[in-house]
Amino acid sequence: MEGRTTGAALTVSPIAAGRAPRNWAWLGLLPFLAFLMLFLVIPAVSVFQQSLKNADGSIGTESMAQAFRGQNRDAFLFSITFSAAAAIVGVVLGALLAYAAATARRPRWLRNVVTSFSGVAANLGGIPLAFAFLALLGRQGLLTKIVGAFGYDLYKAGFGFDTVPGLITVYSYFNIPLMVLITLPAIDGLKTSWREASTNLGGTTWTYWRRVGLPVLAPSLLGGFLLLFANSFSAYATAAALTDTSRVVSLRLAFFLGGDVNAGEDAVGYSLASWMIIIMAVSMGLYWILRKRAERWQQS
Amino acid sequence: MLFCSLFFLLPLLAMARFSLQNVPVIRLGWSTLLDKWSLSGVTKAFGEQEFRDALGLSVKLAAGTVVLTLGLLVPTAIWVHLRLPRARAFIEFLTVLPYVIPAIALVAGIKVIQPHVRWFLNSDLSLIPFYMVLALPFTYRSIDAGIRALDLRTLVDASRGLGAGWGTTLRRALVPNLRTAILSSAFLTTAVVLGEYTIANVLLRDTLPTFTAMYRGPEPQGSYGLALLTLVATTMLFALLSVLTRARRGSADVTSVALAAVKSETT
Repeated sequence: MEGRTTGAALTVSPIAAGRAPRNWAWLGLLPFLAFLMLFLVIPAVSVFQQSLKNADGSIGTESMAQAFRGQNRDAFLFSITFSAAAAIVGVVLGALLAYAAATARRPRWLRNVVTSFSGVAANLGGIPLAFAFLALLGRQGLLTKIVGAFGYDLYKAGFGFDTVPGLITVYSYFNIPLMVLITLPAIDGLKTSWREASTNLGGTTWTYWRRVGLPVLAPSLLGGFLLLFANSFSAYATAAALTDTSRVVSLRLAFFLGGDVNAGEDAVGYSLASWMIIIMAVSMGLYWILRKRAERWQQS
Repeated sequence: MLFCSLFFLLPLLAMARFSLQNVPVIRLGWSTLLDKWSLSGVTKAFGEQEFRDALGLSVKLAAGTVVLTLGLLVPTAIWVHLRLPRARAFIEFLTVLPYVIPAIALVAGIKVIQPHVRWFLNSDLSLIPFYMVLALPFTYRSIDAGIRALDLRTLVDASRGLGAGWGTTLRRALVPNLRTAILSSAFLTTAVVLGEYTIANVLLRDTLPTFTAMYRGPEPQGSYGLALLTLVATTMLFALLSVLTRARRGSADVTSVALAAVKSETT
């Protein structure tokens, strides 16, 4: 017996000790990878390739820098500003709505309705959405006229779809539902037992939120902000149908692609796209990290 | 809550009113509120040849995208689950890439390579692979969720053990069990394609969304009506999807599928 156990203990599997065999199964991914290469990676890389050209054709970062000067800089600042603002509005209202839907006990169908509607609205198309808001708040819009009947001229007061408030209004239509969808699971993860424990230990509602609720929700809220920001920043169709201002980066890029360009400024245009991609990559990267952290609380 | 419901309903009502009522806003008042409601704006749009062409193209694009997406992703996802579990994180990362490269930047890239592949891009149907890319985050996530809910290994082993080849296994054992996921993907893809404006616009194709936008000039009422119709159609798709997914599983699936609705191209 002794010998046998020793023998067994000394036996080491040759596979475990040596190299793992080459896994040919990776070949099965070839179609998928090839598809992505052709239709996603190559266009994206081409954009970067084109933007790393100087005005005289040599390789350099001059165009990338140029894309951040003058009118381009204004455009980036404007776009980032309104995207961030729209994201904040979306986060706050969306989180509140999600909280209401998650905790409301009467009526019972409320949560389902909110979820289903959010699923639809978050995906709402650019053109239909833009038209709907034009019909409501455009210069000939229904609400514009109603408000006008009360003597208040919206447009004279500075409203417009090319302003930050105007864009926020429209973008909130899909940002809020998106936030609701993201935040509902997080709010569900807030166990009632935590709330009870906090109250038992003598804490008020404010204490609960400050010490337990908000810290747990923070990754979700921040992540939501980033997601909404990325969403608003990269949107094109809605903005295109609403306005033709060149202060929105995606519209600016579209003008450039439509041929609205000075000779030799090719690379600057593509640099716009490159910078957009970089900004998106940073936002989505941070979002990913935050989401991983938020998911910790959702596994109970 | 009330404010929110108003906020979400009013624009839709306004659009409906504009497209269906033949009274310009200036003359709208309590007395004219119930005048001249008709579908004439919309029906006129249907009569346009360009509309029919655009609709036809969009439908073809949607069908093509759905078929190719499923054809590519279902086998890939099954393969990954069966043979390459360690690749899953990598694949998940890849499916998030289309978010990072927004549609407008993607089309910029397409313009760069356009001179080199003019033969391919000349066809309107060349939009299909790019639409596949745009829909990728939703569709892959859907199918992946569906596969995870199955006991894939057992199904495959049982089927193969009974003598079925890969094709039969796929067709008769796996796909029927993945029905919900496949339907979800198909519906989501269709919604994406029917609403996609950015790429089609920059590449100057005549799809339904670009037609709707362009039609606004000559016939505003008609184009708003079309937009409304697109909206209604998409909503019905989603409603149908909701019903189907809820019938099969709990709310987790609806949320995850709808959650994958991180805005795609349709913005």
